[in-house]
Amino acid sequence: MRSEVDEERSSKPLAAMKPAPFEHIQAVTVDDAVAALREHGEEARVLAGGQSLVPLMNLRRVRPRALVDINVVGELGRIEANGSLEIGATVRQSEALRSPEVRSLAPLVVDALHYVGHPATRNRGTVGGIVAHADPVAELPPVLLALDAEIMLRGPNGERRIDARDFFTGAFSTAADPAELVGAIRVPRQPRGAGWGFAEVAPRGRAFAIVGAACLVELTGERECREVRIALLGAGDGPVRAAQAEAAMHGRSVDSAVLDEACELAAADLDPPNDFHASGAYRRMVIGALVRRALEAALGRAEAS
Amino acid sequence: MSAPRPQEESLVRLTVNGSERRGVAEPRLLLSDFLREELRLTGVHVGCEQGECGACTVLLDGEPIRSCLMFAVQAQGADVRTVEGIPAEDGGLDRLQRAFQEHHGLQCGFCTPGLLLTARALLAENLQPSRAEIAEHLAGNVCRCTGYTGILDAVEAVCDGSDEEGAE
Amino acid sequence: MTVSAPRYVGRRMLRVEDPGLLRGEARYVDDVDVPGALHVAFVRSPHGHARIHRIETARARESPGVHAVVTGEEIGERGRLVTTIPTRPDEVETATRTLLATDKVRHVGDPVVAVVADSRYLAEDACELVEVDWEPLRAVVDAEEALSAGAPLVDEDLGSNRFAHIEFEQGDVDAAFERAAHVFSKRFHFGRTFAAPLETRGVVARYDAGAGELCVWTSTQFPHLVRTFLAPLLELPESRVRVVAPAVGGGFGLKVQLFVEEVLVPMLALELRRPVKWIEDRHEALIASGHAKELICDLEAAVADDGTFLAFRGRYVGDSGAYQAHPWTGLIDPLCAASFLPGQYAIEAVRYEVDLAMTNKCPSSAYRGVGWTPGQAAREAMIDDIARALGRDPLELRIKNTIAEEGGPSLTGCSYDGGSYVRAQRRAAEMLGYEALRERQRGLREEGRYLGIGFSPFVEQGGWAAGVARANGFPGYAYMDSVGVTMEPDASVTVRSGFHSQGQGHETALAQVVADQLGVPVERVRVSQGDTAGSAYATGTYGSRTAVVAGGALLHATGEIREKLFAIGAHMLEASPDDLELTEGRISVRGAPGSSIDIADVAATAYMGADRPTDIEVSLTSTRSYDPPQTYSNACIAAVVEVDVETGVVDVERIVAVEDCGTILNPMIVDGQIAGAVGQGLGATLYEAVPYAADGSPLAATLREFTYPTTLEAPELEIDHIETPSPVTANGAKGMGEGGLIGAPAALVNAIADALSPFGISIDFTPLRPEAILSLLAEPRSYEAP
Repeated sequence: MRSEVDEERSSKPLAAMKPAPFEHIQAVTVDDAVAALREHGEEARVLAGGQSLVPLMNLRRVRPRALVDINVVGELGRIEANGSLEIGATVRQSEALRSPEVRSLAPLVVDALHYVGHPATRNRGTVGGIVAHADPVAELPPVLLALDAEIMLRGPNGERRIDARDFFTGAFSTAADPAELVGAIRVPRQPRGAGWGFAEVAPRGRAFAIVGAACLVELTGERECREVRIALLGAGDGPVRAAQAEAAMHGRSVDSAVLDEACELAAADLDPPNDFHASGAYRRMVIGALVRRALEAALGRAEAS
Repeated sequence: MSAPRPQEESLVRLTVNGSERRGVAEPRLLLSDFLREELRLTGVHVGCEQGECGACTVLLDGEPIRSCLMFAVQAQGADVRTVEGIPAEDGGLDRLQRAFQEHHGLQCGFCTPGLLLTARALLAENLQPSRAEIAEHLAGNVCRCTGYTGILDAVEAVCDGSDEEGAE
Repeated sequence: MTVSAPRYVGRRMLRVEDPGLLRGEARYVDDVDVPGALHVAFVRSPHGHARIHRIETARARESPGVHAVVTGEEIGERGRLVTTIPTRPDEVETATRTLLATDKVRHVGDPVVAVVADSRYLAEDACELVEVDWEPLRAVVDAEEALSAGAPLVDEDLGSNRFAHIEFEQGDVDAAFERAAHVFSKRFHFGRTFAAPLETRGVVARYDAGAGELCVWTSTQFPHLVRTFLAPLLELPESRVRVVAPAVGGGFGLKVQLFVEEVLVPMLALELRRPVKWIEDRHEALIASGHAKELICDLEAAVADDGTFLAFRGRYVGDSGAYQAHPWTGLIDPLCAASFLPGQYAIEAVRYEVDLAMTNKCPSSAYRGVGWTPGQAAREAMIDDIARALGRDPLELRIKNTIAEEGGPSLTGCSYDGGSYVRAQRRAAEMLGYEALRERQRGLREEGRYLGIGFSPFVEQGGWAAGVARANGFPGYAYMDSVGVTMEPDASVTVRSGFHSQGQGHETALAQVVADQLGVPVERVRVSQGDTAGSAYATGTYGSRTAVVAGGALLHATGEIREKLFAIGAHMLEASPDDLELTEGRISVRGAPGSSIDIADVAATAYMGADRPTDIEVSLTSTRSYDPPQTYSNACIAAVVEVDVETGVVDVERIVAVEDCGTILNPMIVDGQIAGAVGQGLGATLYEAVPYAADGSPLAATLREFTYPTTLEAPELEIDHIETPSPVTANGAKGMGEGGLIGAPAALVNAIADALSPFGISIDFTPLRPEAILSLLAEPRSYEAP
């Protein structure tokens, strides 16, 4: 679904801080929600935590005529762990952060969630909301790429799954159809012994990130890299994998020369965006250092296990 | 463009500060405005209406949330606590509030209600956070007056119990 | 007659304001109960510069809940503001501003149409239905470009974008530069920032036809001046206008201007015969309230071979934005900076030139420390450059050139009343553990880590009133600042203060003064503040003035009451007033403790006692004014930072502040002011910016872009005090509050430059956000002594 955020307008100042009128539709089941989305088409938006949507509505940058509120749809609020981890779309970020299942199966998700907003926004903001909003500097999308996660969508034609790397199609843009909503994310269990790391740079504290890296590394007994995933935020239109950097490490003994090479290649083929806080050039300059920090954390954990 | 007609109002019933309250709200009425205007709880302050400053923080079912990012109609049946509902001991201030006063953790007072409620949630977890962890927990509440020293001192004193030492 | 030693002044007394604030009971302007109030929203310009050809309001008028839609054409010239510096007719232009734009808009956010409706929501709905035919014009957003030929004119009546040009010289500047062994220059562009109090602005107005009184609640720092400015603009006698500053959620200088909204809202209330309310939202605050501190400084220093500073020259180009702050004008930044060019250095000659440019940006306003902040940053950054070039320690170079502790006149007309100019620097170094820190710096460099230390010693004005205003180049008319004190029949005391707080704890500090002076328990003193109906006339709270001005006026007022108490007490005790003393609430004959009476009895007698004296004035009330002489605090701030050279992120490890503000009323409040101002200094230097695109679009339109410092940025802060009472003010106080924001940016800039000195960089701008730091590293310059 293409986001309604008018990119051009978003760089022009606006005259409002109270939202435009809308109809509030309380969905009780997923079917309710899908039916409402179908009925209202482009005029509808899904309301989950609201931490990203309501600020845009207050500024009138987004003005849905119908808000489909999924906060009480029970089936979307569960965390299930059976081999892999399934986090329902309306699971609050704070719940995911505290969840023993998430911590044991996908600790990289927990690491990244620490950087998302603040306690008060995490108490309402949802995991599904981060994914559906697809902010190019959000922390969770690159983590989902690094973990080869899937997004489960629910729509008029039932349920479908889509790989995270195909789901995020650009800034504030996903592959979901207009009448589809994110039902859950499914994260394969992080391989035993794998190390993980997350690093980001922000203009201050817990502000929106400028650029960041999420890494997963598996080593053999001889410190050879069996598997490595490096995914970046703020490095492109959406989350991206640093494919050349990964290739430079794959199957090789990870010494400092290999690490240097990988970090240098991390920014290859990238066209990072400009925004208020930093230019694409800055992002390109800094990605290598962030990848190094995330990789070092990951390698440290891999070796310790 | 034509503006759509405002939507119909409905009755919202919820518990606020331990009492049953009700008020009317059209769908787009923000919870912050509902609490302030309908229920006259003006201790809920509005600083940005974007969720960034934390001034509007209230407790919803015991947890701090941004009331400027919720619609009143979503709070049907909820249990909300604002600064006015912080249970007062003799003298009218609770332990955290007294610590704020003792450590000069407030100046103009505009950020204070949101901060108190956010810090309450931290204290309720009954851990022994370090100053750095306290700072992390409160990083979503902007204060423009104090530079945060007094605020961190106050919360730290309550967390490590030093506020009760040497009390008269 | 004598009074016992102070019990309260100087004590760390907890604030009486706090319980109400902590319980959420304080009423800010948006909380004031005004039943039936209508709400205002503004249609504001989306263009940086544009002509208005046509405004269509018909559809807006029909929008639900709308009571009025008002354009600039309907308001016309009514209530327009005229702003200038009357004492400088040849140097400063005159600006006129209508309440709503008429023929053109000059900045994004410029208000064009006012919509009045039953709720803010409905008013905003109607705003969207207003159609405006704009003709966008070329915009200018750079001050120097605005001053150059061919720049679009912001105010066409002016014929130029140069609102002011002021020159000053004292001493033989040319000779000093001629004979100097070295001439150093520094260009510094201090970035535009914004006071950003957490509570935005707001105005509520209600006309009580029965009482014939207009009441205006406004989140302001100077209610009496708002009244004095407002009444003639609304064609009302001042005696029928009441202005109330309720609880104010931070001012910091932003709220010591008169804004067009403060005139418009009352005007609408008068016309509609309904109460009217406008609460600024965060977006409006960011683009249309008041920006501050942007300044381009071109400085030169003539320096002798042994490092003695001989003379300074400075050219300052300020940026007032599209309109002039009322009443100060945009000169509040560049002129104050220029007046403090000498700082606390013993130079023999100074010359400055100030230009104020108008641009298509949000108007500038005062903000804590005003132009002293960027002036300090530029000068101190230059001095560190000089130290590096001459191979001298930056602290020793400064101390060598610092004026003597007795103070004296500065070349620009400031009269420093003595302080601890050198002692504060030495103390700061001692608190830092300076030598050990340099050792640590060396060690860390070997590990590829970059620690830096920066110093920023300064003099700061206190008690802004006629004397200091004149010394800073502003009109030195008398300032009417008074306080009223009344002892009630039960000997409790009411203080009617026009110096209300926006967080500075005046209700407590002023009560401490009065309690000591009248010998009553501090709990029995109530400070009533902020309401023109309930306070004596004062020009408000700004410019670090309350302790000095209100403090001094209180001494006079309480003194007068005390005299009457002694006179009445003498009558009651059949003694001479000269033989009496006031101790702990009792007036007694010195040396005869049995012969004493409770103050409460004296007060009761004054009001209704049958035996009160008939030959003296007995009313226990006094309103007295105080216009202090110039007084100056001094301080030294030092910063320790570590710079991550891979990401450009700066970690502020420590800040040390040594402050000498003379007599301290409440040390807890003083420390709080320092901490808050230092925090704002951090923000202005590292995290905040309000830049513009070339077409006049403000790029920081939400708090996603304008990032306040949070708890995570708060550094370890150590404060120490030296107390050198002022020899010239009534109570020895020198005033403080702005120092942290005057001094901290310079300390941070210098610390960062020091951290990165191995790379040969020189810093000439703020803010120093991560990308800016990396850009400095990418273009190292080597600094050599010319």
